[in-house]
Amino acid sequence: MSEQTQTPPNTQPRRWKMSRRQFLIGLGSGLGLLAVGTFLGRKTIVREVRLIANQAFLTGDAPGAQPPDNPSIWFEIGTDNITHIYVPKIEMGQGVHTSLAQIAADELELDWETVHVHQADTETGFDPGVLFTFGSTSVTDLYQPIREVAATMREMLREEAAAQLNVDVSEIICEGSRCFVISAPDSTLNYGDIVANRQDEWVIPDKEATLKPVSEFNLIGQPVKRVDFHEKVTGRAVYGFDARLPGMLYGAVARQPRYGATLVSASAGDAKSQPGVVAVVIREEFAGIVAETRPQASAALEHLQLEWEGGITWNQADLEEFIRIKDDDEAILIQRDGNVSSMFNSGNIIQAEYTTPMAAHAHLEPQAGLADVQDDFVTIYASTQAPDMTQSTAATQLGIDAENITVIPTYLGGGFGRKTGTDAAIEAAILSQAVGQPVHVGWNRTEEMQHGYRRPPTHHILTGSLDDNGNLLAMEHQLASGDVLFWSTDSAGGGSSVLSTVLGADPLAAFGSLIVYNAPSRRVLFHRRKMEIPTGFWRGLGSFPNTFAVESFIDELARSANIDPIQFRLNNLPEDELGERMRVALETVRGTSDWENLSSESVGRGIAMTWDRGTVVVLVMTASVENGSIRPLQAWCAVDPGFVVNPDGAAAQVQGQIVMALSSTLYERITIENGMVSNENFHQYPLLTMSDTPQIEVITINSSDTPTGGLGEPVIGTIPAAMSNAIFDLTGQRLRDLPFQLNQE
Amino acid sequence: MELRINGELYEVDVPEDDMRLVWVIRDSIGLTGTKYGCGMGICGSCTVHVDGVPTRSCITPVQTVADKDITTIEGLATVDADGNETLHPVQQAFIDEQVPQCSWCMSGQMMTAAAFIENNSNPTEEDITTAMSANYCRCGCYARIRTAVAVAASNMGENA
Repeated sequence: MSEQTQTPPNTQPRRWKMSRRQFLIGLGSGLGLLAVGTFLGRKTIVREVRLIANQAFLTGDAPGAQPPDNPSIWFEIGTDNITHIYVPKIEMGQGVHTSLAQIAADELELDWETVHVHQADTETGFDPGVLFTFGSTSVTDLYQPIREVAATMREMLREEAAAQLNVDVSEIICEGSRCFVISAPDSTLNYGDIVANRQDEWVIPDKEATLKPVSEFNLIGQPVKRVDFHEKVTGRAVYGFDARLPGMLYGAVARQPRYGATLVSASAGDAKSQPGVVAVVIREEFAGIVAETRPQASAALEHLQLEWEGGITWNQADLEEFIRIKDDDEAILIQRDGNVSSMFNSGNIIQAEYTTPMAAHAHLEPQAGLADVQDDFVTIYASTQAPDMTQSTAATQLGIDAENITVIPTYLGGGFGRKTGTDAAIEAAILSQAVGQPVHVGWNRTEEMQHGYRRPPTHHILTGSLDDNGNLLAMEHQLASGDVLFWSTDSAGGGSSVLSTVLGADPLAAFGSLIVYNAPSRRVLFHRRKMEIPTGFWRGLGSFPNTFAVESFIDELARSANIDPIQFRLNNLPEDELGERMRVALETVRGTSDWENLSSESVGRGIAMTWDRGTVVVLVMTASVENGSIRPLQAWCAVDPGFVVNPDGAAAQVQGQIVMALSSTLYERITIENGMVSNENFHQYPLLTMSDTPQIEVITINSSDTPTGGLGEPVIGTIPAAMSNAIFDLTGQRLRDLPFQLNQE
Repeated sequence: MELRINGELYEVDVPEDDMRLVWVIRDSIGLTGTKYGCGMGICGSCTVHVDGVPTRSCITPVQTVADKDITTIEGLATVDADGNETLHPVQQAFIDEQVPQCSWCMSGQMMTAAAFIENNSNPTEEDITTAMSANYCRCGCYARIRTAVAVAASNMGENA
């Protein structure tokens, strides 16, 4: 089992033939190779359906749908008995290359040592939309299709082994990359031998292959070790910032001084005569330098003559005032249950407000890309979650057909939502086109902090009503947020898209905002805040700010009703399958953390719960205050994503989210000054270090036999809430604004 | 100028004397295991050894290390005469404890840890935290780094 950045020689793009069962088989199979794959792309299917509909409408003649001729996922077995698994998802640290390979290896009955994992790229014909890696969806989306391809391939090998060994197929067992005869275990062929012995072309069988039952899994559900670590710990792994080509140069690009400012005039000034400068590239809204070294390119930027006009002049106070929910706001209703017109006419009314600031992704590898633009062919190495978008944007920017642009996704040095952008790769492509040589663009930390996009600021007003027994009568969440999805659908500072006009509320900013607890009346209102400051996807999307607000407020309600916060949640769970999963997770963490005995004079305890995209999360945290500073002590986190493919990978994702969210809870705040982010580097935006890292215990729960939710994001919003609740438990201070500031009196 | 990196001599063309070491190592020489993260010596991704001392290469002018022994992550493992590679105890522990996620910071973490355990075969948890608290990891692998450094220190002690 291993992962290689370099593509092996036998994996040139091959041609494919469609089978009757919508599987694809690599042409040439039967000549020492078996290659089977399938396509998944929603976009292709949508395109074909639209084509049929439009042609039928316009011409009265409906063409047949044309399925794609390239697979989105595929595996190859050669005569050397090595299985190559092509993964159509980007490895950004989440372990997706390992978890997807272990799913395939289990169903295909592979010897794990014979598995080689490869990153797929746009050259191999992938459908747009599949390579895009986001939203904690990789395992849930690909779990079933990968198993179907693997099982089909396994059954083909089994049938062929039966023929070669001259026994009935029911006599053959596949195990450890070999087939053997049940009654004569010495009669055996490994997969490589079977492939070598096959004389004819392989045929996909008509009969559907049966998937293995959970009880027979030998890799799925196991803490299989990561395939990418050897090349990572030896420094050989290639990230976007590390991509190299012979004769490459370095680029740097001028940045706007204020958000919304436009470049009205640009000239080279004396930049051309600066040391090492090869070219000054000026186009519409773009001025950049190509030089022999990276520092030379950056240094020459100051010598350009640039005139910027317009843009915002906001300071932090302007932003905070803009975000606040106002009485005359027009809000969009996104949840309404029961009678809401008189929802707060009875009971004991409790109300609280919460805020979260803008935050940076702070992935340690800045945006990076290397482009080689030749007249008829373009190669781009990019550190991106969205290789397909990189390809289409490059096509538009360069005026070159997308088919002639190959995008090779590299490892990502962290993504967290920020690498859905394609910035650096496109800048490199523009500069490379101008000089006819490969150009690398790697942003510096200040560019990373100030440009691109960031987590939007939010303001929340929560109102609840309790009867005298502490039962929840009504609950309302009003939330104001900068854009998450709409930043990418609406033009900056300009018009609104159909999507944002129809929806009104940004669906991704609203993640985690809905009220799942049982109450006769419930309402959620969304206040969109469209700003010139770019905001967008940040790990967890809306679930970070919203879970913080909602789950802190649930604690306030429980305190006000004088009911234990776990009991209060149990009392108000929805009466359905989700409620049952939440109950199990709550009871599990209550037991594991020894909840009843966690509080003391110097230790506070807090709990938070959420349900996010198919995954249930319950988190208990303890905290203390030492020398006036908040100190996280211990965390117990139960996650139920339906079914866990790799428990150690799952634990790593949970641990990582707890650390990242604690950093945001205690330290992180992006501020704005004169229309620009004022934090330039980590001295003005410190991250949490090992000294603040708590002990973390992760409990994985399988409530199903198949994955229903992801694990890369759902935990993140529970941390600030559990911490706020723990600090209240210890000090009686309710911290409602991130990052936390203790009142030191 | 000449630089001695991982025991090999490199002749490099350095246009400015104060060019930061990180760019010479990565871009001029092509050893990209040393990472850039902040350019201010804060995050620690660029840590290399200069005469055995962990050093932030992003703030180190190249002329200050002209006569010194530089070690990067590529030089941490040992290779025998037949070309067989044996990972440094820190590298091995980082795999065994499944430490990295994205791994961009890990070269710096491992270089810092390797220098630390050279002189501390039996560190306490607090010692490790103190030694490692100037290295950022955005993926949040700190708990596993702490464990792996302890394991590596203990293995290093046994082999000594």
